[in-house]
Amino acid sequence: MTAAASDARSVIVRGIVLTTLGLLGVAAVMVLALWFTPVEATQGPAQKIFYVHVPAAFTALWMAVPATAFAGLLYLWLHDPRLDRFAAASAEVSLVFCLVVLVTGPIWARPIWGAWWTWDGRLTLTLFLFFLLLGYQTMRAAIRDPVERARFSAVLGAMGLVLVPFIHLSVYLWRGLHPKPIVLKPSDPSLPPEMLHTLLYGIGAAVILYVGLVTLAYGIQLAQDLREAADAR
Amino acid sequence: MPDNSGFLYAAYVVAGVIYLGYTISLLLRARRR
Repeated sequence: MTAAASDARSVIVRGIVLTTLGLLGVAAVMVLALWFTPVEATQGPAQKIFYVHVPAAFTALWMAVPATAFAGLLYLWLHDPRLDRFAAASAEVSLVFCLVVLVTGPIWARPIWGAWWTWDGRLTLTLFLFFLLLGYQTMRAAIRDPVERARFSAVLGAMGLVLVPFIHLSVYLWRGLHPKPIVLKPSDPSLPPEMLHTLLYGIGAAVILYVGLVTLAYGIQLAQDLREAADAR
Repeated sequence: MPDNSGFLYAAYVVAGVIYLGYTISLLLRARRR
């Protein structure tokens, strides 16, 4: 095994360890939310969907999509293939977190709003972001030339970042049903401490999971790139 | 208080399946490479 192949292998192993920690963390937060966090009086048990939905949204909007965009923009400047590989891994994981947001949201909305979906600004823009990330994956699969693929991906990744502030501010910009932020706002979080702690643990677990999945996806791509380079020789 | 715990369990199961499913797909890809 060459030194480079050994590097790819160690990145994959690190990714597996971090992903396992992240998955265990998410499972622990679910247990904490189900049995050790108080039930909200008005919404009932369905409110606890929040401890999975919000961490996924936070990670997608404030970590995964910005990381994808900045790595892509840095690629345009530095032309380092590691940045494109990282952006691609981060975009793929963003799609997964975005999917969790888009699936758990309607499951919460059905008992609380009485409808699975409304064309509220927050929901609609998050759906746009999901389609943009899906388009990112489709586009990467369709372009053979790695330099062209990296350039186009960087531009599309930056477009995702443009959507983030609109998604966050959509609840203030347009009148809709989606609740306003209760933690990421200028004043103090409006949550009792037990609920806030569970939410913060949930965000911590989702962030570890994101880092683990991105490391794993990056390692896989690195191994593939090395194999392709060896085949081309 | 409304009894809507079925929605809570459904959301947790679906989120778990998505995270776990994606992880397994990555592990399979890693094995192939």
